[in-house]
Amino acid sequence: MVQKEGKFQFHKDLEAARSYFVEYVNQNTVFFHDLKEKIDYLIENDYYEAELFAKYEFTDIKKLYEALYARKFRFPSFMSAFKFYNNYAMKTNDGLKFLERYEDRIAVTALFLGDGDINKANDYADVLISQEYQPATPTFLNAGKKRRGELVSCFLLEIDDSMNSIGFAINSALQLSKIGGGVSLNLSKIRAASEQIKGLDGKASGVLPVMKLFEDSFSYANQLGQRDGSGVVYLNLFHADIHEFLDTKKINSDEKIRIKTLSLGVVAPNKFFELVEQDKDMYLFYPHTVHQEYGVHLDDMDLTAMYDELVNNPRVRKKKIVARDLIIKIAQTQMESGYPYIMYVDNTNEQHALKNIGRVKFSNLCSEIAQLSEVSTINDYGQEDVINRDISCNLGSLNIVNVMKNNRMRETVHLAMDALTEVSDRTELEIVPSVAKANRELHSVGLGAMNLHGYLALNHISYESKEAIDFARTFFMMLNYYSLERSMMIARERKVTFKDFEQSEYANGAYFKRYEENDYSPRTDKVKALFAEFHIPTREDWSRLKEETMEHGLYHAYRLAIAPTGSISYLQSSTASIAPITQRIEEREYGDSKTIYPMPFLNENNFFFYKEAYDMDMYNLIDLVAEVQVHIDQAISTILYVKDNLTTRDLAKYYIYAQKKGLKTLYYTRTRKRTIEECISCVV
Amino acid sequence: MTKYEAVNWNSPEADYTEMLWTQNTSQFWLDTEIPVSKDLKSWTELSSGEKDTFMKVLGGLTLLDTEQGNVGMPLIAQHVEGKQKKAILIFQAAMEEIHAKSYSTIFTTVASSELIGDTFGWVRSNKFLQYKTHRIDSYYRSIEQGNLLSLYQAMVASVFLESFLFYSGFFYPLYLAGQGKMVASGEIIKLIIRDESVHGVFVGLLAQEVFQQLSREEQDFAEKFVNELLMDLYKNELEYTEELYDPIGLTHEVKKYIRYNANKALMNLGIEPVFEEEEINPVVLNGIRTETSTHDFFSTKGKGYQKGTVEPLREEDFSFLNERVKQSSIW
Repeated sequence: MVQKEGKFQFHKDLEAARSYFVEYVNQNTVFFHDLKEKIDYLIENDYYEAELFAKYEFTDIKKLYEALYARKFRFPSFMSAFKFYNNYAMKTNDGLKFLERYEDRIAVTALFLGDGDINKANDYADVLISQEYQPATPTFLNAGKKRRGELVSCFLLEIDDSMNSIGFAINSALQLSKIGGGVSLNLSKIRAASEQIKGLDGKASGVLPVMKLFEDSFSYANQLGQRDGSGVVYLNLFHADIHEFLDTKKINSDEKIRIKTLSLGVVAPNKFFELVEQDKDMYLFYPHTVHQEYGVHLDDMDLTAMYDELVNNPRVRKKKIVARDLIIKIAQTQMESGYPYIMYVDNTNEQHALKNIGRVKFSNLCSEIAQLSEVSTINDYGQEDVINRDISCNLGSLNIVNVMKNNRMRETVHLAMDALTEVSDRTELEIVPSVAKANRELHSVGLGAMNLHGYLALNHISYESKEAIDFARTFFMMLNYYSLERSMMIARERKVTFKDFEQSEYANGAYFKRYEENDYSPRTDKVKALFAEFHIPTREDWSRLKEETMEHGLYHAYRLAIAPTGSISYLQSSTASIAPITQRIEEREYGDSKTIYPMPFLNENNFFFYKEAYDMDMYNLIDLVAEVQVHIDQAISTILYVKDNLTTRDLAKYYIYAQKKGLKTLYYTRTRKRTIEECISCVV
Repeated sequence: MTKYEAVNWNSPEADYTEMLWTQNTSQFWLDTEIPVSKDLKSWTELSSGEKDTFMKVLGGLTLLDTEQGNVGMPLIAQHVEGKQKKAILIFQAAMEEIHAKSYSTIFTTVASSELIGDTFGWVRSNKFLQYKTHRIDSYYRSIEQGNLLSLYQAMVASVFLESFLFYSGFFYPLYLAGQGKMVASGEIIKLIIRDESVHGVFVGLLAQEVFQQLSREEQDFAEKFVNELLMDLYKNELEYTEELYDPIGLTHEVKKYIRYNANKALMNLGIEPVFEEEEINPVVLNGIRTETSTHDFFSTKGKGYQKGTVEPLREEDFSFLNERVKQSSIW
């Protein structure tokens, strides 16, 4: 992609894709005479699940494959083709030859999701090959395979303040890593360093050694050496070990306490930001003494409401720090390591439609999950455990460009919700009973979207403009509407709702107030034109949906979450998530490969609209995310992009602004170093 | 009696010293930050030829970094005017030692003791490697107090080492990492390159300053010297490359890369490039762009993180933020 005579050679990328096929893929694909021979072979040799194909007539299967191949899908860039064949296509046992093309993977996924209903399978095949909807990697990679990993890959576990519970959590983390999951752990209940054990002062070791145990567990469980397990630990900012927790990521910390591969997140109540703004001292609490005093764990409380009570209770052990020092320390740690993620726990719970059922306390590895959880009690052998709900989530994303192009958003969102529901219904993770229980009772899924920047650039709208916000506002309102509608329809059809639906804000109608009061249809002419052919749900539609929801209930406790979309956005040749691009022509390292990738549709005409994230004003980015967050019941994975001349003060201001704007989480911060030529050119 | 003076960072020696010090210290790193053990699986999948080249390449790099940290940087620092410049050079020398150690970290993690021993033996006996180290070393050791020409020669040697001679070695780990092999080791190499690029620029600047102070005759001599040294090292580098890269068929690619970096070294010295521009293997070229690349937290550390500048919040920040919140509600 190097410039020639001042012009980018975009055709080079297409040439590379073509030659990749001709020279590599085609020559390394196992040849079969016809479909029958192929499927029979793959079933007999334990590649495909026989039961899957037994549910359909072969003639129907054949038609489905033919319809897919008739679409003549071609990968538009080298990167998308390479991603598919390198990471997704099924290969022979020795890993040398391809057994599937893109169409085959889609066919099998569609048949799997259709579960015997050929019409449904055809619908899925259509929406997948049109690239309107893309299931997350674990589903798309594993569907229909005889020897496969799990279809769900995102887990969140609570840990109680006991040795039994820590041991149980380690075992769960090992089991989940083994099947390829990313695991998030809530450490906020664990007693701090130097707290009492059995009434003896100064005995507890705090959260650090527990973090070390998890770090080692994740590197041990590495899926046959394919990839290390990945985990994140969250700690409440008012936990007495918070400084030590953050210090584990410092560049020159001692090897004994340094955490290399585990990710960190902090849970930040609004009280913290209040203390920062007023430049007050801040008390950290020792969680064991809090639990002894109130019978409630530190992070199960609304700390913002309880703060003064805890401060004034002499039986709660505490230590005093300066609130602004802590926010600066967070910023410094982020500059040095990218961590921690931040969860705005009060923003999350204020917007939580299940607030009368449970509290959201922490997020996950990519910070787009926000669901209730309850800690389990793990007893000694011979005594029954009390298993409560942890969290799992299966994800999928809409491709905004294609959804807007094909103008059948309602059908597409419905199908996407059905696909996610199918995966949730067919997942039974008995190996971690708390996760299985939550899945059984709540049926949570997470539908998101990608290619926002791509869509905006294609339509000559700049990412930081009023029009971008206008578009996002309407689009995500519609996504919310249609996903609610489908969840209601499934509940109506099956006569099953998620557990305790009647206590939710959906059941009493409070959730719908915003939509009955505000009109979310486009305001600017440019965006009005983009939606000209669409039916946009009106306030009357929302009132009707409210009535129907109150009558029939919802099947899913949680529906929407916007993931960062790594690999799958490459498959779809789209920009990641709702994030801005980082490079017009990207160099990317992901796990085991590295590639060059021009942004989708990039050409001389829209070059200007593909402004790179590092050149944007992060306040504008936060404004856009805030607008989207209104319509998303879970969270949005939000990355901040900064140049290396920013200080901790600039970063702290972003954190505060995001809190004020109602964001639920911030994912990591990425820093771009100015190159030495840039630096030197200012002085020499 | 001599009056001793303290380094005073409050009065800049040159308009770039403060900036270069900050740039250097902000990109401080340690080999132990990179989880090299992730490369274990990849290592077992390399062919024995690939392993051999990998070890030798890193062995060669270790020698050059040892020379630069133990001899080059300290001796140049000793003879450079200016205490801030000396400070920067000494810091860079310390980084060279971290580089030299980091190759060992890779070795210890992936290779057996026998293989490591063999590699260091090879370093001692390889004539091309010994030749280039000897050639560079001789200029470092011939710096004479008050003889600016000798200092200039040493600086040129240093820039050639940093910006030119390292790259026949860097090529291979970058090439492997670009294909998803030995990715963590590739990260280390990229961190090293990030440092070396600053070192080359800095010593190059110092050399240009010294050049300005030379007499016309000395300048003529110096120009010829640069050209002769370059060509001599280049010839040696070609043979070194053939020995290392012939068995895995990459010699041609590496030679182009060497010429590319020779040009860069000359540019650091303020001299016009001598080799024709050629197309470099894009995978490797990416490794030498020192901006942040897109990376994922599931995998590698990424070279984009660094020590931050601490600055406290101010009262006016909150009025700004509260005002912005109000303004941003456009509907």
